[in-house]
Amino acid sequence: MTRPGLPRIDLGQINSVVRLEMKKILFARRGIWIYVLALLPLVLFTAYDFQASREQARRRQIANQSQRPLTYQDLLTVKSGMTNQEVIALLGRPALNFHWREQRAQGPDSFTDVAHERYHYSDGSNDLFVELSDGKVTDANIQTGNSLGEDSIVFASVFQFFYLRLAIFFGCLGIFMNLFRGEILDKSLHFYFLSPIRREALMIGKFLAGLLATCAIFLTSEFLQIAVFLWHFSPTVRDLYLYHNHGLEDSAAYLGVTALACLGYGAFFLVAGMLFRNPILPAAAILIWEAVNPFLPTLLKQFSIIYYLKSLCPVNIPSPPGTPPLLSLLISNSDPVAAPVAILGVFIMATLALYVSSLQVRRMEINYTSE
Amino acid sequence: MAIYRRSYASYSGALTPAWSRCLVLFRYCRQNLFRSKLQTGFFVLCFFYPLLCLIGVYLAHNLSFLERLGAARNQFAQIDNRFFFAFVNVQGTLAFLLTAFTGPGLISPDIANGSLPLYFCRPFSRAEYVLGKSSVLAILLSYITWIPGLVLFAVQASLAGAGWTWDHLWIAGSLVLSFWIWIAILSLLAMALSAWVKWRVVAGALLLAVLFFGAGFAQAINGVMRTESGHFFNISYLIATIWKTLFRMDVDLPISATEASVALLIYCAVCLLLLLRKVRAYEVVQ
Repeated sequence: MTRPGLPRIDLGQINSVVRLEMKKILFARRGIWIYVLALLPLVLFTAYDFQASREQARRRQIANQSQRPLTYQDLLTVKSGMTNQEVIALLGRPALNFHWREQRAQGPDSFTDVAHERYHYSDGSNDLFVELSDGKVTDANIQTGNSLGEDSIVFASVFQFFYLRLAIFFGCLGIFMNLFRGEILDKSLHFYFLSPIRREALMIGKFLAGLLATCAIFLTSEFLQIAVFLWHFSPTVRDLYLYHNHGLEDSAAYLGVTALACLGYGAFFLVAGMLFRNPILPAAAILIWEAVNPFLPTLLKQFSIIYYLKSLCPVNIPSPPGTPPLLSLLISNSDPVAAPVAILGVFIMATLALYVSSLQVRRMEINYTSE
Repeated sequence: MAIYRRSYASYSGALTPAWSRCLVLFRYCRQNLFRSKLQTGFFVLCFFYPLLCLIGVYLAHNLSFLERLGAARNQFAQIDNRFFFAFVNVQGTLAFLLTAFTGPGLISPDIANGSLPLYFCRPFSRAEYVLGKSSVLAILLSYITWIPGLVLFAVQASLAGAGWTWDHLWIAGSLVLSFWIWIAILSLLAMALSAWVKWRVVAGALLLAVLFFGAGFAQAINGVMRTESGHFFNISYLIATIWKTLFRMDVDLPISATEASVALLIYCAVCLLLLLRKVRAYEVVQ
């Protein structure tokens, strides 16, 4: 049913709006910062990749220089109180050996010479630093190398706390609030309103363009992040993770959550761009609402996007020991919902926001002078 | 009147002294600041916490009266460096929010409407322009930061006596210094964003994003690279480090106050550079 005098919603018209808007979003100079937002985690993981590769090469070199090949179990055998002879008997001559002498005061005028040594062993993946004083072990410190398990938790925390809550959030804020507010500030919205196209169709077209653009930018970035994250591991470890430890499923989940975040936040910011002149207020309000989500009662939790997205995140981030209870609550996902419910939840929230947008766009009046 | 009939003559009236010319900008900008009811309301709201603190100071010195009313002695805060540190934190946050509202509108309209040549065709330098615009924020933020802080300190000093005042005089210095550093950073950041982003509202949102995004990115760097150097990207963390040192808070800090100060100085220099690059008497339009 269409109102008399108004054209039907035409898919061709929506398609035209999408094409026009896509060009504006993707190639505008003022949108460059959104690419920077999306690429920052990628830069971070690339830097980590580079550092981890160098560390691995260094450890392998030390392991090759050792008198005999060592295992992690061998590194664990060194204990405080052992003599240097016992250490060498267990692990062989160290690849790196630093030694120096210290003059330690014994009385007002008397000094004694103390010999210090530092042995550095490696099994190719982990380092062992043995501190010796006067020929006896005073400290044996093992520095474990990068493990996929630990790294996947770091990846999950960067995804949840940085990429999802800040990069995608501010990216969607920039793109979707700009769809109508940007046209008003450019004094060009009347061109659309004067053309024979229903306003709902215009709104849908703009929203779809924003969604396609954000998905293209942020999904590409996420895909590259996953690729870079796995790059420095050996092919065996990579295959084990991808095909036997749910790596592929996790990657698909990250990409899916990214797309859903673009949909949810996009719909919210589209309606916010129509209702508010100043984006600071809705942005701050939504940011705070999403941040305090773990502290809200269950009923209120459902009126946020992050509640559903967190439930879909594949890796649960454990709180480190000694974390304050409030912070632990912020990190934890106390009452997650099932995946189908979470996906449906985001779609319902987005539909609600789009419905409000369609009502708003119908009675929208342009007054450029008040801007 | 037709323009050729008008005989122009140079201005022969009294000139504003050179040293106070920058304050002319403040005078005109101030009129625009309180046109928005929301902004005025928020400005008034910024005085509630100092008022609460003032009541707290008064109550802390009238415990006998309150004990007679049934209140326990330990219910009232001790007035020490922690009390003033909390004051700095709350008012500092409010100062940031006030800057997000007022700061972006300072320079962006001048650039968007191409009115900078009108300023600079007068005996008015770029430095005076920047100083004049920043004085708007500096004076406005002073009303809600170090001025109420010093009033609070004076009230406490008058109630606690000369002994307390002499022992805690450093707190007054810390109050002024903490807030002036924060005001300088906020002013430069807001003006740089205002100069580079022509849309006032977008500049405001960017200011919000710089602080929140910076904090998130810093944590991400710390997490991924297993380091503490990420904090250098977090302006709010850097300023908190300086405040903690100035108020002699007994906490372990991963980066020193000197390192934080140097990082903030670099941020200020970058903002100033960006500002001076954009604030010119002409603009090349491609």
